[in-house]
Amino acid sequence: MKFKPRIWYLIILSWLVIIIFRAELLLNLILLWIKYSYLLMSEFGNAIHILDFNLFDALLSIKLFLIIPVLLYAFRNRLSWLKNSINFSYTVIVLLMISFIFALIITDENPDFQKDLKATKLLSPFSTVMILHLNKGEKSQGTSIEEFINYKNNVLKPSYDESIVIANSIKIMSDYIIYTQKGIEKKITLSALWVNNGVADITSKTYILGTDEFGRDIFARIIYGTRISLLVGISAVMVSLIIGLFLGFIAGFKGGVIDIIFSRLTDLFLAFPIIYLIVLILALFGNSITSVIIVLGLSGWMSLFKIVKSEVLSEKNKDYILTAGMLGLTKRKILTNEILPVIFIPLVVSIVFQFSNVILAESALSYLGLGTGSSYPSWGAMIESGQRYVTKAWWMISFPGLILIFTIFSANDFGKRLNRSINPGVSK
Amino acid sequence: MNKEFLKALLKRIISSLITLFLLISFLFILIRLSPGDPAQKYLSAEFSPELMKKVTSDFNLDKPVFNQYIIFVVNIFRGDLGISYNYRLPVLTVVLQFLSFTFVFAFLSFIIQMVVSFYLALKSIRNPGGLFDKIVSKFSLVAYATPAFVLGLFLIYIFSVQLDLFPSSGSKALEFDSFSFAGKIGDYFWHLTLPLITLSSAGIAMFYKYLRDNLEDTYQQNFILNLRASGYDEKIILKKHVLPNAIRPLLSVAGIELGILLGGALITEIIFGLPGMGRLMMDSVFSRDYPLVIGCALAAGLLMIISNFIADLIKMKIDKRMIKGLMN
Repeated sequence: MKFKPRIWYLIILSWLVIIIFRAELLLNLILLWIKYSYLLMSEFGNAIHILDFNLFDALLSIKLFLIIPVLLYAFRNRLSWLKNSINFSYTVIVLLMISFIFALIITDENPDFQKDLKATKLLSPFSTVMILHLNKGEKSQGTSIEEFINYKNNVLKPSYDESIVIANSIKIMSDYIIYTQKGIEKKITLSALWVNNGVADITSKTYILGTDEFGRDIFARIIYGTRISLLVGISAVMVSLIIGLFLGFIAGFKGGVIDIIFSRLTDLFLAFPIIYLIVLILALFGNSITSVIIVLGLSGWMSLFKIVKSEVLSEKNKDYILTAGMLGLTKRKILTNEILPVIFIPLVVSIVFQFSNVILAESALSYLGLGTGSSYPSWGAMIESGQRYVTKAWWMISFPGLILIFTIFSANDFGKRLNRSINPGVSK
Repeated sequence: MNKEFLKALLKRIISSLITLFLLISFLFILIRLSPGDPAQKYLSAEFSPELMKKVTSDFNLDKPVFNQYIIFVVNIFRGDLGISYNYRLPVLTVVLQFLSFTFVFAFLSFIIQMVVSFYLALKSIRNPGGLFDKIVSKFSLVAYATPAFVLGLFLIYIFSVQLDLFPSSGSKALEFDSFSFAGKIGDYFWHLTLPLITLSSAGIAMFYKYLRDNLEDTYQQNFILNLRASGYDEKIILKKHVLPNAIRPLLSVAGIELGILLGGALITEIIFGLPGMGRLMMDSVFSRDYPLVIGCALAAGLLMIISNFIADLIKMKIDKRMIKGLMN
């Protein structure tokens, strides 16, 4: 029998890979979880008070990470798609989902971390730096909350860390260390370093995909960028779906003047080069993550509207809808119970294509500087900043660019497969 | 027939006009809804209250909203779109200056898309499922998924930075004026090569896919089998019978393609620093030149409406059945 890789093999494989490469972080996260649960029981108010997004993210992702195999086993029969055999686009989609959920576990650095620009700026892929850990002074043994916060800051990488020095190379002398940052040599005495069991604590770090012009890890930024892309994609598609369903249902059921008005409106939106419209709205109203989601949602409802309207028109005079109406079902009930199941399948296909359009549009907007803003790492914005260093740093544009192509390609391919499996009549 | 054609034409013109009118109203609503007082964008109230009052009345901001709307519509139809803050010129003049480049650029790209996709589709349909067909089909899927700005930057990196073959930005060389006429045209195309590849690749992939599938479907129909059995030449079958049937659905795609083309032109112009309308729009967005932003958006919408209208006209000319379709 030929060996056929299935989707759940891939999930288990990536799970194992993460465990192998991030064992220390995982152990620390489990400890963090235990300490936090202890804190929750002893000092509930304070524990809630220090819960920020990072901590919440860490706790949630470690819990989810641990129960993945259990979930896979428990739902092995329910989720039949797990047994589909793997191809390129499924692999990309699964990996994207994993990086969306476990961004914190996969990366070993904060996406905004900047330190010692001289040593870390524009490093090529697979370059290694040395990290000198400075002596922070005596650890204050404060209350349990302070201790916990200290521990948390140790485990979850903050965006700035004063207690480390990053150097390109080091030379250890008898009682001091010479380290170089881009050719400039500096001296530091051993006593200033954090000493662990009599040996100075010096670690090395490899940037798999290099760094950008601010010395930020491109790998970490790509992984965290998944969150923005998928979040904007999913939310914008939801907005389009709600508008399309609502307007399409009204236009289909009421007909007449309302139908004509909505159809003209659809033509207007279709007639407009959509990126000009988006740029215009974002320029007038300002850009933030919410406005990007709303604008992209508003610019994509037309195809959904058309599907819903035509399906409602063809279904509304059929016997079962008429019966449902006569039985006294409200319009909302008819929509959710009778019409939605019928249009569900064409809608899903349309949504998948819409999703890839939105991801493309989001990255294009970020590239133009009208995206979600500089507070979140985004693939388009990374490409935009890479453009300025195109002669020096090819890795700044190629990695986010390739990821973007893979994502859009996979979403298109997935939509096509879905369409084919639903309507076998459609060739290709 | 002629009467029917005229009727359809009239109907199509009216529907275009309604769309245009809706577009203008939509723009007005957007401007009114956007935060901030237009007069304050122009002048600070603390600077001089009297001047502020004068600006407010000059902008007709003291009149009711409905009157403002009427004035807005009338001004647009008179070609008065306001004055650009940056250029100190009427918006219409500035937009027309930049529109010509985008128009030529998009038109060239459209022709390239058509020619290349036709050539590839015809070549791959000669041997469906063959090596050429498979490679081009796979490649077109990747090309379709590649965003313009990623492709453009990859091209700049390979051809401008590494190989130093093509310029990475601008539409003409510094010493452009000293060239002969042929040299000027050569220089122009030399500068436009990478932008045209960037802008055309997604369109080529899309047209190729449609055309290839249409050709394949048409070849499988019974009348082609009949013609072949009657001993007609393959070339005649292709030219007289297959192509006309396969092209028709392409025309409706072409209308949608124009919107993608304009959007792609916006991004391509920015990557390569070309003096087109997209770059004008982005520049005016970042310098808060609102009259110019609105002018650009309106021009893009107008271009789109006109080209859709022309696409429909060509469709009516080719396919008489379309006239009935448009009537409904």
